[in-house]
Amino acid sequence: MSHQLPAILFLLPLFAAISMPVVCLKHRHWSLPISVAILAAMVLVSILNLYNVIHHGEVRYVFSGWTAPFGIEWVADGLASVILVLLSILGLLGVVFTGPTSPKTLGGRIVHYYTLILLLVSSLTGIVFAGDLFNLFVFLEVAAISSYALVGVAGGRALFAAFRYLILGTIGASLYLLGVSYLYAVTGTLNMADIADKIPLLLNSKAVVGGLLFIFIGLGIKMALVPFHTWMPEAYTYAPDSISPIMAPLLTKVVLLALVRIIYWVLNASSAIYDIPILLLVAVLGVLAAVIGASLALAQRNIKMMFAYGGISHIGIILIGIGQGNQTGFAGGVFYLLNDAVMQAALFYIAGVALFQYGVRTIDDLGRIGKKAPWLTGSLVVVALGMIGLPPTGGFFGKWYIILGALESGDYVSVAAVVLSTLLTLAYFVKLFESLFRQSSTESDVQFGEIPISFKLTLGVTSAAVIILGLFSAPIIQLLLNHTLPPGL
Amino acid sequence: MADAFLAIFQRPNFLTFVIIFLWGFYIMVTRYNLVKKLIGMYLVQTSVIFFLVTIGAKKGATVPVLLSTTEPVQAASYANPLPQVLTLTAIVVGVATLGVGLALCGAIYRQYGSLDEQEILEKLE
Repeated sequence: MSHQLPAILFLLPLFAAISMPVVCLKHRHWSLPISVAILAAMVLVSILNLYNVIHHGEVRYVFSGWTAPFGIEWVADGLASVILVLLSILGLLGVVFTGPTSPKTLGGRIVHYYTLILLLVSSLTGIVFAGDLFNLFVFLEVAAISSYALVGVAGGRALFAAFRYLILGTIGASLYLLGVSYLYAVTGTLNMADIADKIPLLLNSKAVVGGLLFIFIGLGIKMALVPFHTWMPEAYTYAPDSISPIMAPLLTKVVLLALVRIIYWVLNASSAIYDIPILLLVAVLGVLAAVIGASLALAQRNIKMMFAYGGISHIGIILIGIGQGNQTGFAGGVFYLLNDAVMQAALFYIAGVALFQYGVRTIDDLGRIGKKAPWLTGSLVVVALGMIGLPPTGGFFGKWYIILGALESGDYVSVAAVVLSTLLTLAYFVKLFESLFRQSSTESDVQFGEIPISFKLTLGVTSAAVIILGLFSAPIIQLLLNHTLPPGL
Repeated sequence: MADAFLAIFQRPNFLTFVIIFLWGFYIMVTRYNLVKKLIGMYLVQTSVIFFLVTIGAKKGATVPVLLSTTEPVQAASYANPLPQVLTLTAIVVGVATLGVGLALCGAIYRQYGSLDEQEILEKLE
């Protein structure tokens, strides 16, 4: 039974998504409770799966009896299981948050809206587990197609953002597929473990180098790595308020995980192409993303846009940790990924509540709500501490281990980039708080209603998680060091 | 230089792939009409699918069903079915993406009364 857990985890949201339009044909208000129930079940199963993987080792799930390398294989190792717990919890919170904020214009199509959300969650589960390059492509595209639709679902400006996202995302997917077909033409296999066996001797073949380059660019577009990030801030800003907190923490981070898998599990950590170490490349791209993303965030006035650029810079910081090629850096990078996903979710909940409850879209409007929104202000303070990286929060420990890893490998440029990006993050949050706490003379006496319980729940849980991840950072890092490290690190 | 030039013509399938890919990419970048952009996008996808099919092509090979169970298997006489299976999946993915893209185009047209990127951007200001 326990070796079926990965398949159960994937099928739960998938079946719910497919049966949703039929089950909720007459009773469209059932769609929210059903989604919440399914995702809550998924949280339990994912925790069970993590427990199982930690105690009994990784699960290699083989579909319909065709063993790898001939059949499709799923790998539920420590890294995948940890990320999956995060994914299902954030998916559940996202759906809870969706309840009151879902676009009112949808009417009867609200059922399909929940179908798309569940489809997105199940395809992200597939990306996390995939042990096969082509399988990964299929799930990437299912996730991408559902997110194009979700971004554009509310109409208005979002439609154009969704269209741009679609065009760029499809270029990324095509390049990824092209890279995979290059690798397939050279190695004759698609299974990651099998390619990993064959590729060390082929690393100087032009086809392999070209294929890897295409795969990196393709995934880079999908995860909004700096030169290819242009679709991301627009898509996340104009997406419905209930969708950005699901997409922002999950989509880019899960694609990042796929990149980590290809770098460490398919290629070897120490492999070099034409004498250029791959990890050096990753670290350099991380440095660029960390600094450029944070600088662009500082220039924004729209709150959601600012947070989206903040997310771009944090992807860079994670890549810096991943690219150090030692255990400390890797565990720090993965730990920071967990933190960053929670913080991104919290930031977009805050932005969503600010817009939905208080009608605040830009920084200049923030002064209006100052002292009238204790939940909003409180969680914003906690999450800001985490984003900047001050001690009691998880953000601090993530950055701390990444810097330790960088010092261990003597990469001082990366250390400087993390510090610089931290200072820039501090700068844009100071800008935010400056306008939040400014006493405006024209303070109106508008009374805002009590905020709904689901807002309190999502804001409270994510803010608490930022602190808890910090307080329990030592055991979590130990868990990551014991169970998630790639082979040969 | 001449050798490199001749080497390209040794593999007409690669040449065709590159031409279709760049053609699609050019359409995507230069045209302002959103539907034309989608056509370019579809050309890019098709070129990658074409590439996948050609790397699995083999002269004089047949479907991968054993001709005889007694003789030893001659790998040269059977075609590899995997690239074609991948192609089918990639076509389905491409069609789904195109469908979402056209639906977005329709919604954009109803909203802005235009499919021209420049006009829409002007209305967005």
